[in-house]
Amino acid sequence: MSSSDEEGSGEEYLFKIVIIGDSAVGKSNLLSRYARNEFNAHSKATIGVEFQTQSMEIDGKEVKAQIWDTAGQERFRAVTSAYYRGAVGALIVYDITRKTTFESVGRWLDELKTHSDTTLAMMLVGNKCDLEDIRAVSVEDGRSLAEAEGLFFMETSALDSTNVIKAFELVIQEIYNNVSRKVLNSDTYKAELSVNRVSLVNNGADGSKKTQGYFSCCSG
Amino acid sequence: MENKLEEDDDHEPGPVPPLRLDRFGFLKPEISPEGLTKSRSAFEYDREERRVRKWRKMIGVGGSDWKHYIRRKPHVVKRRIRKGIPDCLRGLVWQLISGSRDLLLMNPGVYEQLVIYETSASELDIIRDISRTFPSHVFFQQRHGPGQRSLYNVLKAYSVFDREVGYVQGMGFLAGLLLLYMSEEDAFWLLVALLKGAVHAPMEGLYQVGLPLVQQYLFQFDQLVKEHLPKLGEHFTQEMINPSMYASQWFITVFSYSFPFHLALRIWDVFLYEGVRIVFKVGVALLKYCHDDLIKLPFEKLIHALRNFPDNAMNPDTLLPLAYSIKVSRGLEETRQEYEKKNGKGGQLPGSEKQLE
Ligand SMILES: Nc1nc2c(ncn2[C@@H]2O[C@H](COP(=O)(O)OP(=O)(O)O)[C@@H](O)[C@H]2O)c(=O)[nH]1
Ligand SMILES: [Mg+2]
Repeated sequence: MSSSDEEGSGEEYLFKIVIIGDSAVGKSNLLSRYARNEFNAHSKATIGVEFQTQSMEIDGKEVKAQIWDTAGQERFRAVTSAYYRGAVGALIVYDITRKTTFESVGRWLDELKTHSDTTLAMMLVGNKCDLEDIRAVSVEDGRSLAEAEGLFFMETSALDSTNVIKAFELVIQEIYNNVSRKVLNSDTYKAELSVNRVSLVNNGADGSKKTQGYFSCCSG
Repeated sequence: MENKLEEDDDHEPGPVPPLRLDRFGFLKPEISPEGLTKSRSAFEYDREERRVRKWRKMIGVGGSDWKHYIRRKPHVVKRRIRKGIPDCLRGLVWQLISGSRDLLLMNPGVYEQLVIYETSASELDIIRDISRTFPSHVFFQQRHGPGQRSLYNVLKAYSVFDREVGYVQGMGFLAGLLLLYMSEEDAFWLLVALLKGAVHAPMEGLYQVGLPLVQQYLFQFDQLVKEHLPKLGEHFTQEMINPSMYASQWFITVFSYSFPFHLALRIWDVFLYEGVRIVFKVGVALLKYCHDDLIKLPFEKLIHALRNFPDNAMNPDTLLPLAYSIKVSRGLEETRQEYEKKNGKGGQLPGSEKQLE
């Protein structure tokens, strides 16, 4: 059964966020660290897509992030890029110990631009900062790329938890700010947003918008 | 405890922690209370013995009678395979039914050539995934140990053998599963038999650029769900659940990615003999078995449930009979035609997907 508070009082937000980047940079572990406070040194490679939700409170409102984790290998983009659509936030992750993963960031940004036009908040994440002694990408390089592309920037470690919650929450906060700054009362914007919002709870009211679907895979 | 497991002194030096393994060699998550005492009953043991004897007779020494038998009594073979191939004969039978044995015999020395002399553009990708393939199995755990080395060799050899496919994540689970039952070279040829379609439709489309066959199968599966479980199909549509959210790995790894190993093996027995149809059947059967629970769940919980089926749903002795009872042939043929009409004959998708890579 869906939870009961359906009236306007307890306004609910649901943001779709994607986490992308080359294979083995630590996307799945960042997500499991954030959503369940777990790290798994022997996690399996992600095949296809995975998904987690996590909530936080902003201004007394419940803000829920629906986070999609995708396979990193280039070949999988054929099936994963469909998931970029409707995303309002993105974490683009590289591994600070592997330069090639940093060099791929540009391509990931292109992918994102091609498949999604609604992204409101993006963060560049240099993961595995616990491995300082084999670092291959400097903090400065990370930061200046982020600045050039207009992204937030943070170095994280899914292993020792450094900045993981911070990174996700900053993205969520930024989306929230963007949304509330926009004319929240404008109906057209609300309609637009509800497409991204992937209503989980059947609020009854906007069944029609929902069918718009934020997801469309194989069918054109 | 003093049940000793040694035999080969091949272990790396250093303290070896006592491992608790299930009967397939996977680490047990934790010690179950009845853990050690729970062994097979004498009755089960007897039954297994009888089955092995029947099977041995059917295949003959080293598989010599197999072809003869299968021509004469294909329905008997099918029935027996559906009950499960005895574990001690699995490796051999898999090679016989997949056609890989013939490939091996026709191509002496080829595997060695691929492993030793050729280089592959995918080597680093493969290495990165080696420790992420069956990480909880004792054979693959040891860094650079024999299991990981074999896995690397097979995947590298395949990526050279078919450079267009190369290496794709997910292939490691196929190779890993095979390596638990046969040698590297045998595993390689079985992989070739599957991807190139020695007996059944080729699987390589699951791994080619654009993953065309994954897309086709997901489309077909979606249609099958609507046909067999219309109410659930409707619920999925409402909640905007799409098979790509839960079923891609079923097809890409033939259930070897996240399903209990004993179930995966039973599915593979049938898969190798009857083809990909069983993957659809098992998929629909899982949904059918959990139907009444699934239909109540909203989006998030639904996705979670579709990725974490309860243990009783994954019991091969209940799930497989249910799967066998589901008829998919007609549905698969119709949906394939429908898919081809929509996407052009080759099954290739129009537009965006192609230009990648
Ligand atoms: N040292 C270190 N290793 C990490 C960190 N995050 C992930 N890893 C390891 O990197 C490998 C790939 O991680 P995974 O999360 O599966 O990467 P994904 O392919 O991007 O999802 C795994 O072996 C992880 O244990 C980190 O912050 N520090
Ligand atoms: Mg992953």
